[in-house]
Amino acid sequence: MTPVSSKLYADDVSLLMVLIDTNPFFWNSAQSTLPFSKFLTHVLAFLNSILLLNQMNQVVVIAAGYNSCGYIFDSSDPQNQNKRAEDLLHKLEEFVDNDQELCREESVDGPGFSLLSGSLSMALCYIQRVFRTVPLHPQPRILCLHGSPDGPGQYVAIMNSIFSAQRSMVPIDSCVLGAQHSAFLQQASYITGGVYLKPQIFDGLFQYLSTVFATDLHSRCFLQLPKPAGVDFRASCFCHKNTIDMGYICSVCLSIFCKHQKKCSTCGSVFGQAQTQNSSTTPDRKMKMPVDG
Amino acid sequence: MPQVRIVARNFMDMVASLPPLKLDKLYENSFICEAILRSLPPLAKKYVLQLLYIDGPVSAKWLEEWVLAEGASKHKVAIDRLIQLRVLTETVERKKEATYLFNPPFQRNLQKHILRGGVSPREPMPSNVTVRLPSTEELDAYAVEQWELFLLHLINSTEVERSMNISSSMMKVFQHGLLSQKDDKEPSRLTESGFQFLLMDTNAQLWYIIREYITNCEEQGVDTADLISFLLELSFHVMGKAYNLNTLSDIQRTIVKDLVDLGLVKLQQGRKESWFIPTKLATNLSISFADTATRKQGFVVVETNFRLYAYSTSKLHCEILRLFARVEYQLPNLIVGAINKESLYKAFLNGITAEQIVSFLQQNAHPRVAEKIPTVPENVTDQIRLWEADLNRVEMTPAHLYDEFPSRDVFEAACDFAREYGGLLWENSKKMRLVVKAEIFTQMKEFLRRQKQ
Repeated sequence: MTPVSSKLYADDVSLLMVLIDTNPFFWNSAQSTLPFSKFLTHVLAFLNSILLLNQMNQVVVIAAGYNSCGYIFDSSDPQNQNKRAEDLLHKLEEFVDNDQELCREESVDGPGFSLLSGSLSMALCYIQRVFRTVPLHPQPRILCLHGSPDGPGQYVAIMNSIFSAQRSMVPIDSCVLGAQHSAFLQQASYITGGVYLKPQIFDGLFQYLSTVFATDLHSRCFLQLPKPAGVDFRASCFCHKNTIDMGYICSVCLSIFCKHQKKCSTCGSVFGQAQTQNSSTTPDRKMKMPVDG
Repeated sequence: MPQVRIVARNFMDMVASLPPLKLDKLYENSFICEAILRSLPPLAKKYVLQLLYIDGPVSAKWLEEWVLAEGASKHKVAIDRLIQLRVLTETVERKKEATYLFNPPFQRNLQKHILRGGVSPREPMPSNVTVRLPSTEELDAYAVEQWELFLLHLINSTEVERSMNISSSMMKVFQHGLLSQKDDKEPSRLTESGFQFLLMDTNAQLWYIIREYITNCEEQGVDTADLISFLLELSFHVMGKAYNLNTLSDIQRTIVKDLVDLGLVKLQQGRKESWFIPTKLATNLSISFADTATRKQGFVVVETNFRLYAYSTSKLHCEILRLFARVEYQLPNLIVGAINKESLYKAFLNGITAEQIVSFLQQNAHPRVAEKIPTVPENVTDQIRLWEADLNRVEMTPAHLYDEFPSRDVFEAACDFAREYGGLLWENSKKMRLVVKAEIFTQMKEFLRRQKQ
């Protein structure tokens, strides 16, 4: 991927990819604080305001369900010119129905987690397509409106997406709607230079969105945007998907394991015998700590 | 070198210079609010969005807290612009605390827009009406053709094509300031601004013309506010959709008819009703310059040997190149020319500057060479600038030579006198000769006559 800078529009033309969490398990639990319908009202107003700011701005909405992901809305589609809200809601409803039907037992993490990794990949693919087909493209950024807890099974996929976004210089903004902080999104925003925010009062969600996340990349150089109080940098092991503080790292491909393995499951390298087993002072065990700042 | 430059002043500056009462009236129209918002600098847009749902005054300090040290100047520009356009009104309290208050109609309109989303200014033609609509390509071609016709007319107004369907009265308005005509018999000539105009990009040209049009209408007693609001409203119509002419007021209908000549709208006659179809020229009206200037496909390749290849079938392009280059031959899709001293001198005499030529070549570079840096070979751009500098090396000042003074005293007195008036250009005390600027000729004459007595 070549960094494309000369082909950008001037100043503040943005391509905003909005990832919406549609996980019914989460929204059911959030019923009292932020009902889904209210959330959508705020988001729709936010989308309208983005499109209002610049004639060339483009917004694409991707729904992240618990079984599938899908494009729901694309403002560049000439058919979406007039009935934005109706169209978006209609597609969203269709998507949620399909998502429910797909419900399988062998879901990656079981129910309760939404497919953040899938939606991130879709957003990045879309951005790559824009990079390659259009001679002049807007500045892309991704906004995750995410509520479900992190799905440990998606760790590797999400990290790969994050690094791919970093390479293409696409910032990932995250607005966490759930009760807990999301370590995945903290890392995503930190690594790609996006903004991570966990709103305190959901009634004013639109104000959060329009004040912080509507800021185009050009203006971000001049403004003081929320800084993360702390980022949870702990990694998950590749073997059991547990979040770990300390673990074993493959010296060839940097895969992380919580227990000593004979052979790396990712790249197939054969490891030597661990010097002392079941001891926390082994020299080749690397410490990973949550870092503040 | 004459320094007459016509600047494509931003349309919004013109809006900003309207009196406050008119501006407030304009903001009653939601499309104006939208267009104004889009014309703002990025930081100002962000502030508008941030303050949109805040009722009551906001202290200046509260806004400044968001700004990093690096952005202080940008912040000032943004706030100044908002105040200039009366989007925000500033009040300084007694405690020296400045507060900003949102313009109520502006705020109301934008709030409505955000809740409802974009609404089209008027309903397009219902699909059950059977009128054949031009395709996007046809419409683009129509707009370009109409625009080029207009520019061509500007260039060869001497050999005006009889087939031109632009009404002559309108043409006069549009060409005001670009063409000069001493009397009716003599063919009109392009003025310096006219030549510079031809080298601007389409959007800048369009704005120039529209501005002329607005000033003209103002003289004829049409309310500028109405005109501006209609023009901006027009830019929010969907390109290529047909709209009923009957939905327009009488004034608007005349405006639309004038705009047809420029290719901004196309008229389509239905069975019972007439329709107007905005072209991309019209929908681009509210876009800022920077965005459109870069979008055009270039066609010119300049080589280091000063030869110029223009891949274009347009007669207009050929005429424009002829302004500063010698066109050698023309193939169906290719114009080959050369830039040389004579052709450039001709251009400089017409008031075109080297900078304009260089930027024209750069902006219209063929995609193949546009990727290269520099787009136009450096030796060519340097030479163009050098040739221009050559012309500036000799400065002409009308002057008079005084000779054969009766005595040295008179000569010296004359020298001092001329020096006092700042008109002494050269003196030779040995031969007692002196050169004085022509502008103080009468004073010199007076002085010498007094000396004689």
